[in-house]
Amino acid sequence: MRSWPAPLAALVAAIVIFLLPGWLGGLHGAFTVIAILAVAAYGLDIVVSDLGEVSLAHTVFFAAGAYATGLLATRLGAGGWVTLAGALLAGLLIALALGIVTLALREFVFSLVTYAATVVAAAIAHNWNLLGGSDGVSGIPTLDLSAGPLRLTAVNDAQLWPLAFLLMLLTLYAVRQFRRSRLGAMAMMVHLNPRLATMSGIDVRRVRLQVFVLSAPFSAAAGWLYAYQRAYVGPDLFETYFLVLMLTAVVLVGRRRLFGPLLGTALVIGQERFLSFGGDINAIILGGALVVALALLPGGLDGLLRRVLARRAPPIPLSETRTATQS
Amino acid sequence: MNAAVPVLEARELRVAYGGHVALDIPHLAIAPGELVGVVGANGAGKSTLVNALLGWSRGAPAVSGSVRLDGEEIGALPPHRRVARGLALVPEGGAVFMRLSVAENLAAARPLSGTRGRPHDAAAIHALFPRLAERQHHAASALSGGERQMLAVARALRLGPRALLLDEPSIGLAPRLVADVLRTVRGLVGPDLSVLLVEQNVRAAIAVVDRLVLLERGRILAQGPVAAMRDDPRILEAYLGEAAA
Amino acid sequence: MNLVQQLINGIVLGHAYALIAVGWTVLLGVARLVNFGHGQIYMLAAFVTWWAVAGLGLPYPLAILVAMLAGVLIGLVMQAAMLRLTFRQDLVAIMIVTLGFGHMMRGIAGLVFGGQPQVLETPLSYIDFEIAGAWVTAQDLAVILVSIAAFALLHFGLERGTLGRTARMVAEDPKLAQLAGINVSRVYFAVFAFEGAAVALAAALVAPRTPILTSIGFEEVIVTFVVVVLGGIGSVSGSYLAGLGLGVFTALFGGFVSPAYATTAAFGVLIVVLVLRPSGLALRAGGR
Repeated sequence: MRSWPAPLAALVAAIVIFLLPGWLGGLHGAFTVIAILAVAAYGLDIVVSDLGEVSLAHTVFFAAGAYATGLLATRLGAGGWVTLAGALLAGLLIALALGIVTLALREFVFSLVTYAATVVAAAIAHNWNLLGGSDGVSGIPTLDLSAGPLRLTAVNDAQLWPLAFLLMLLTLYAVRQFRRSRLGAMAMMVHLNPRLATMSGIDVRRVRLQVFVLSAPFSAAAGWLYAYQRAYVGPDLFETYFLVLMLTAVVLVGRRRLFGPLLGTALVIGQERFLSFGGDINAIILGGALVVALALLPGGLDGLLRRVLARRAPPIPLSETRTATQS
Repeated sequence: MNAAVPVLEARELRVAYGGHVALDIPHLAIAPGELVGVVGANGAGKSTLVNALLGWSRGAPAVSGSVRLDGEEIGALPPHRRVARGLALVPEGGAVFMRLSVAENLAAARPLSGTRGRPHDAAAIHALFPRLAERQHHAASALSGGERQMLAVARALRLGPRALLLDEPSIGLAPRLVADVLRTVRGLVGPDLSVLLVEQNVRAAIAVVDRLVLLERGRILAQGPVAAMRDDPRILEAYLGEAAA
Repeated sequence: MNLVQQLINGIVLGHAYALIAVGWTVLLGVARLVNFGHGQIYMLAAFVTWWAVAGLGLPYPLAILVAMLAGVLIGLVMQAAMLRLTFRQDLVAIMIVTLGFGHMMRGIAGLVFGGQPQVLETPLSYIDFEIAGAWVTAQDLAVILVSIAAFALLHFGLERGTLGRTARMVAEDPKLAQLAGINVSRVYFAVFAFEGAAVALAAALVAPRTPILTSIGFEEVIVTFVVVVLGGIGSVSGSYLAGLGLGVFTALFGGFVSPAYATTAAFGVLIVVLVLRPSGLALRAGGR
């Protein structure tokens, strides 16, 4: 997984995955949800893996995308493209505001404030009638992406799957490009050694803000498609379930692995859909997976696999430089 | 450019923590092509001076005074903008990105946007430090102390600074390596690059610098050309202090 | 509603907030640890109290002890899982792990106690007093008294005596403390056990004011954040004052502006504090 496989192999793999839900007898619903939530997790992945901060506000970006979509589609009868633009804009604006407020904050204080933002956003969603209050927004019409003479609608999961799949491919490509970009390299430098990054002429705060804001559209776009998939948007989007799901997806397989969040999401959703023990036990499994991944398996499943296979790849602490600078 | 304009100049530079004045430098200047050594015992204010020149505030001290680079005031800029103008630092202990390879460390250091200095390209770096060329695919954490210090200097040269601050390059290195590193630094100094060498190891510093500044309790005790300073009793005392330590 | 009633509500609420936050104060001040599962321990302990009274038929004071015991147990289990991360002071990983524990606790609560909201009626809540034209219950008074007692105990325990010295050494430098012959892992376990017991005590006393659901606990976490940050991280007396201040603020805001947005307003206070004095939040050893 270290190097990008040959384009041909990637193409074949993509085609196989694309056709898989059909072959398996119509599992489009599960695959669509996996793709959507994986895209949401990639937004968080950039911040956690590259910037080295743990944002607990990415459920807000996700929900903002979903709410913007739901409201625009039901109240104004907006089409798919308008709702997408609205979702992205909502995510970006909230991320910008939160990013500016948390500019000087790091580590757990940063996480604490982003968590507080999530709880407050949930309170607002519950109480503000404009957002539908506790009832949320229901009756979201089917997704219509028709442009000019081209007719493109998605009525059911089987028709949404190609779109979710495409969104996932775009996300994978964007994350890969980000990691090869100047900004990605600067984020990594800021993560590894902020002082040295400054000594390379890098504006640490600006990089942090840029990456944080850049990460929001991924989660918001996922929220956009999720609103159509569920045809309903409500305050339940702010529940810890989504937050814990995203975090687990990011850390379960191994950090800074391109396919990590996707595999992580697939494992979690796969368990819930095909090996479910009921909501309560599923919650225990999901929370337990997060605990095990971090407390017992540093480096995630990938690290475990590597240790078993090759006895190498020493565990890397999540905050390498911090432990060093704190002493 | 007017040769009389110092590359780096500090005036009335004062750092105070509450009522305690940790640094008080009326005037300190480095001319183009000059290698100036700042020496002094532990706690003499050497790190405070480096931090003040770069605008690092540790424990929120009150910093006042002027810092000029090529005659332009940079004393009000945040650290990264001072670096971008061409004031580079090689921090104590050869700080490099441990998890990145040698090549990645060098690639991560990009020529600065606002500098008048001359950035070194990869070929120039490899010519200067053949050892780094040999080890370019090793992780920085796998390098020896001397190699890491070379990498840190090489990183700074990639940026193309006008003035380079070298903070205690000799710390943790074997004497022979110290001489190697400092001789390399001596070779770098030229019309494009001036160096401020902050060093506790007086003996090593004296061997390479043009001018010597002796710091004690945050004040300049003596300064002058190295030839004149060599026999200064206060410098000899610093020597002895070092020998006793 | 009049001002006096709101002020008295605020004082009661403030002591409740301070009591809810006391575990975190110690967690951060002594061990430089965080616990994002704080709210779920609160929730679980509230259920345990209810179950001990309604299910086991225990008297209320005994039920409180049962809940505290459960809190201690949860704290010990969490710390056992995180011991390696604790020694590495990997705060970010600890934070995520505690979130995971919080999610697990929610599942456990749903499994054991079901999805129905429960109301815990204590004998103290039937006793009313009139003070300056405002009504308070004996339950409210109990919250105030226990909160003051907890903080006084902590103040004298932490800031004086050998216990406090040990704690400060561990906070300052765990490795050095180890060299000084202190069993650091025992201190960490003790701190997490205290955190569990303290939240459970708070839950047993405060939770009867509202219905108990598996989804409660979030507001309590925000309140704890604000109290700990406002009070100066790790400061015992600071947390007490911050809790009191926040309680009065929330009561007045809820009474005269909007009850639904009281938490949001508390968060607003947090933001203002963060913007005004971000440097005051640096996580320093001891944090005093």
